[in-house]
Amino acid sequence: MPGMEVLTGALIYSNLLALLAVGLTLAYITTAVPNFAQGSFAVVGSYTALTVYRLFRIQPYVSLPLAFVMGGIVGLLSYLLVLKPLIRRGATIVTLMIATLALDLILLGLRGIYAGYLGKLTGSPCEMYMFTYLDFQIFGMPAILVISTLVIVVTFAVLFTLLYKTKFGIALRASMENPALAEIMGVNVEYTRMFAWFLSGALAAMAGCLLPFKQEIVPATAEIIIVSIFAASIVGGLNNIYGALVGGYIVGMSESLVTYWLSTVFGAGMLVYGKVVALAIIIVTLLVAPQGIAGVEWRLVAKKLQKRGAKEV
Amino acid sequence: MLYGLILNILLWFGMYLIVSLSLNMEYGYGGIPNFGKALSVLVGSVVAGGVVTRILMAVYGVKMGIGGLSTATSVVSNEMTTYIQHNPTLGLVLLVATLLLAIAIGAIVGAVFILPSARLREDYLAITLLAIAETVTMICYYDPAIIGSYYGVSVPDFLAFLQGNAKKLAFVGIVLLIALLTYLFFERLMNTPYGRILRAMKENEDVVRVYGRDIMKVRIMTMAVGSAVAAITGVLLSFYTLRVQANSFMITGRTLWTFYPFLIILLGGAGNNRGVTLGTLIFVTVMEIIDFYKTNIVSILHLPVEAVWLEYILFGVMMLLILYYKPEGLIPEKPILTKPIKKAYETRKPEIARIKE
Repeated sequence: MPGMEVLTGALIYSNLLALLAVGLTLAYITTAVPNFAQGSFAVVGSYTALTVYRLFRIQPYVSLPLAFVMGGIVGLLSYLLVLKPLIRRGATIVTLMIATLALDLILLGLRGIYAGYLGKLTGSPCEMYMFTYLDFQIFGMPAILVISTLVIVVTFAVLFTLLYKTKFGIALRASMENPALAEIMGVNVEYTRMFAWFLSGALAAMAGCLLPFKQEIVPATAEIIIVSIFAASIVGGLNNIYGALVGGYIVGMSESLVTYWLSTVFGAGMLVYGKVVALAIIIVTLLVAPQGIAGVEWRLVAKKLQKRGAKEV
Repeated sequence: MLYGLILNILLWFGMYLIVSLSLNMEYGYGGIPNFGKALSVLVGSVVAGGVVTRILMAVYGVKMGIGGLSTATSVVSNEMTTYIQHNPTLGLVLLVATLLLAIAIGAIVGAVFILPSARLREDYLAITLLAIAETVTMICYYDPAIIGSYYGVSVPDFLAFLQGNAKKLAFVGIVLLIALLTYLFFERLMNTPYGRILRAMKENEDVVRVYGRDIMKVRIMTMAVGSAVAAITGVLLSFYTLRVQANSFMITGRTLWTFYPFLIILLGGAGNNRGVTLGTLIFVTVMEIIDFYKTNIVSILHLPVEAVWLEYILFGVMMLLILYYKPEGLIPEKPILTKPIKKAYETRKPEIARIKE
């Protein structure tokens, strides 16, 4: 049995992954483009928290709202400056995907320059850092576990109320399901897209703000985490927001726990194979149920299983 | 100084042309968004640094000691390099053998690489290819048993019999020769029925299916050929630096060997090899000039940072501008003119002109 520490670590990681995956899915549902820059959106949050901490010595948890806003602005600008003009020109999905790759590279470059400036300003390097030494305990649990769980709960509560209890939510869901029809009914699809990209960046940046409590931020962080984000979104179903939540936990838990189990059997050398688990999940999902868990018609599956069971009897 | 710059431009022109032409076959002709192109370059480097060196270790009877792979390969590479100093043929045999092995392994890896996603739509396909490439890169980075992880491995110098300037000149010559052969190979291959199926597949997969071709088979074959060719650059890269280090692939791998080849293809014009050649020349010239003046650029702009970050931003923005203003590239793709179509064109010229009006 894995110890408490491994379990809490896995849970924290899953919380952050779910946040990132929800953002990716939101952007995919509204604009039909898988955003390869989602990892870089997260890094925006990490650097927001670092800047506030280094300059004013303010606990990174306090920076969560600021990270939300900063990430949201980056997400919104990405849509308005990069994707919207291309979509207007009737660009194909592949073109849009290449554009997000370019966006990722630009953000990587900006990150490098910003880290250089911040390092010069504060007199200590900002290429690699962690916040673990700043963490404290709440009711005997690490604060990062409590706070990341809280962030997920609040995010989904707000998202649910927004989507199902408000008029704006109805318009939003309509334009996600059928943009052309929604437009005819007087819904401004443009607003829903802008909203989705703002939220996508904002949620990613919140996850990025909390990430240094769990693992070290390095220049390649965005590249390292993107595989897991895609795995979480795909296993849940790229077309479903709640799928992203489920996918985040499946990928986060199995990435941590399967590698932990492998390392107890085959030795510590297996710990580096964590991402292989995420990759395996992507591949198995695409082969078995390309629409993801949310896309599977569970009633039909249950019926089939029942029939098979009846035949065997 | 200028001589060195020109030599560098020619060197990287050759290296990038090989990779870009292979990506052009996959993406420009076949429409496969191979976002994991860097993997095949990595495979070439692994073959040179991890496979060939191990074979040499077995031949020379070098055992792995406390220093691990890093030390063992440097011992065997030194020994091999001394041999080559007196025996030039051995060096050339080493190069050709490594290239052939890399082509074979590259083809296998390419075919396996696309298997899980050969049936998928383009967005899922791109995600999967990128995810596989990133994961393999990470494994090579973290696991020292493959190519020595952070410490890297040494590769013998196959041009050890030459010195200084002559050596670099010879190396650039070899790279350009291989690039030329690659160009001729793809020009021929794309003028076969297979090349035309590839273009048809990009336009409309269903039509290709109706004519009885298996899309999955075409995709697998395309990726096998594309990866085999791109692995050549991986080998040449290792022989150029005489070292293979996984950390050089960690952040920059995707940028250098996936993003930049895409930039080159879109700049020059997807789906035609002349355009890609022009695109490679322009891109490499810009890149090398930035590299040449990078200390000046940083000091003029008073930046406390490395010029590489500026380079990323510049090329990222360049890509967006191309996608927006000139998505067809400098030399756009032309329709295929087989003999019957050519004839039809000529006899119906007035009609076509009328339609155009």
